[in-house]
Amino acid sequence: MQRGDSLNSPFVPFSPNPSIQQGTPTSTPPLKHTLSSSTSSNLRYSSSRKSIYDRHLNRSQRSELSKASFAFLFGEMVQYAQKRVNGIADLEKKLNLHGYSIGQRLLELLLWREGRSAKRETRILGILQFITTTVYRSIFNKPADGLEKSRDNEDEYMLIDNDPMVNSYISVPKEMSQLNCAAFVAGIIEAVLDGCLFPGRVTAHSVPTEQLPAKTVFLIKFDESVIERESVLG
Amino acid sequence: MSATKAARVGEDVWKTRIDKVNAELVTLTYGSIVAQLCRDFEGDYLEVNKQLEKMGYNIGLRLIEDFLAKTNMGKCANFRETAETIAKVGFKVFLNITPTVANWTTDNKQFSLIFEENPLADFVELPDDGRAQNELWYSNMLCGVLRGTLEMVQMQVDAHFASDILRGNEVTEMRVTLVRIIDDELPPGED
Amino acid sequence: MVILSLLILNKAGGLIFQRDFNEGLKKLSSNDYLVLAGTFHGVHAITSRISPVRNSGGGLEVLESDRFRMQCFQTLTGTKFLIFAEPNQPNIDVVVKRVYELYADYVMKNPFYQIEMPIRCEAFERNLVAYIKPK
Repeated sequence: MQRGDSLNSPFVPFSPNPSIQQGTPTSTPPLKHTLSSSTSSNLRYSSSRKSIYDRHLNRSQRSELSKASFAFLFGEMVQYAQKRVNGIADLEKKLNLHGYSIGQRLLELLLWREGRSAKRETRILGILQFITTTVYRSIFNKPADGLEKSRDNEDEYMLIDNDPMVNSYISVPKEMSQLNCAAFVAGIIEAVLDGCLFPGRVTAHSVPTEQLPAKTVFLIKFDESVIERESVLG
Repeated sequence: MSATKAARVGEDVWKTRIDKVNAELVTLTYGSIVAQLCRDFEGDYLEVNKQLEKMGYNIGLRLIEDFLAKTNMGKCANFRETAETIAKVGFKVFLNITPTVANWTTDNKQFSLIFEENPLADFVELPDDGRAQNELWYSNMLCGVLRGTLEMVQMQVDAHFASDILRGNEVTEMRVTLVRIIDDELPPGED
Repeated sequence: MVILSLLILNKAGGLIFQRDFNEGLKKLSSNDYLVLAGTFHGVHAITSRISPVRNSGGGLEVLESDRFRMQCFQTLTGTKFLIFAEPNQPNIDVVVKRVYELYADYVMKNPFYQIEMPIRCEAFERNLVAYIKPK
């Protein structure tokens, strides 16, 4: 899964044990900015304002914007992607990619903010709980609604959101009923898992009920390497 | 309405009638969109600017209804009032910022919005490829939003950035010009 | 509070939404509704200019008979919301504002809705019915 180079991201996989790196993005481009800026950056900074490196990362931690802003931005993202794809699977993939790039950055930020108490998760349950609580709370201000392990498949888990925020105002037309725009959130989850060395695929599925018409299940399918490691760890 | 009254309305609506989300999510989402456009257009930043403006325009056409529904604002008496409404109510209610209105021309048809803060561009650094800082207007979507919203209330405007902190300028300034009032169909209540 | 039906017209006077909230109402054919909407749009335009009194505001706002009360709300963008209710119904303004908000949320923020086109947004209808006819 070659994510790194297509996203021009500053993501560098970290692991003290190189043998666990199977399945993680193997070719990641070096940080383009710092390599060139340490020698000859041509970036201009205004004299009065400090650069972004002087601003504290926690500055915007509790800032809020209107949900409408996100909704319009997200809606436009969906519309733009729709014009450049053929079919629903493709559209979901594009949304997933957007979510992925956000998830990578979010993960770094969240772990940095946890500081000394940051725990490196090595078990599946641990990382899933990190996602359902810490990650979800930071983006959506509430934890996810449920976490289940699949009965039929060893490598599948389900994360449940009764009312995904990103879908709040979206009504998918009947002819596209398999589309779930929460593929965006699936991308965020996937990035967090990849970044913590639990490679897998995450997809969003609508499972509406009478009470919860917007209920969505995120199906997490871990790579074999993760399941092997999990059984080795006991 | 005066600037202070507009500020009060903006503050009030922001506090009581707006559902809120984590700002960082919006910042990251906007960033992802810009980055995607830069990839799609292979570094043709002028084209990216155009596309951002167009996306903003599409948003503006819809955003105006949300703005009107949430704020119950009536018609502005003149372009100066429109400017204050945009700055103190519009931007407040959506982005929780209040840019300053300044640099009016004598015919009252052109003004600037000076942005002290820009949540869309938080923690952004433009690519160091020698061109981005000269060509890309990172927040260009905002210009399109203004153009779209005002067009729906019968004003044709041109909005563009004159300077941007991301480019190394001292301030982030958007210049807004009233091109003409659209009255092929008279606005309600006018004679 | 008994709201009988709702019509929404776009800027050009085209009908983009129509819904009844009560049983036993007379149903017109969909073509008839389109014609009705277009006619109303024209009437509204005329009434906005017909008053001999200066600055008397926009066009037709209320139409009341002994069987029903119709209220028309035109937004600054030209979209019209027509609410039909039982006569002597107070607080229709509140209902209209709420419907406008629901429109702004579930129609405008829906990326699959094309502007000026008929509204086919499931969330909009769901929330609308829940508001107007709470069970």
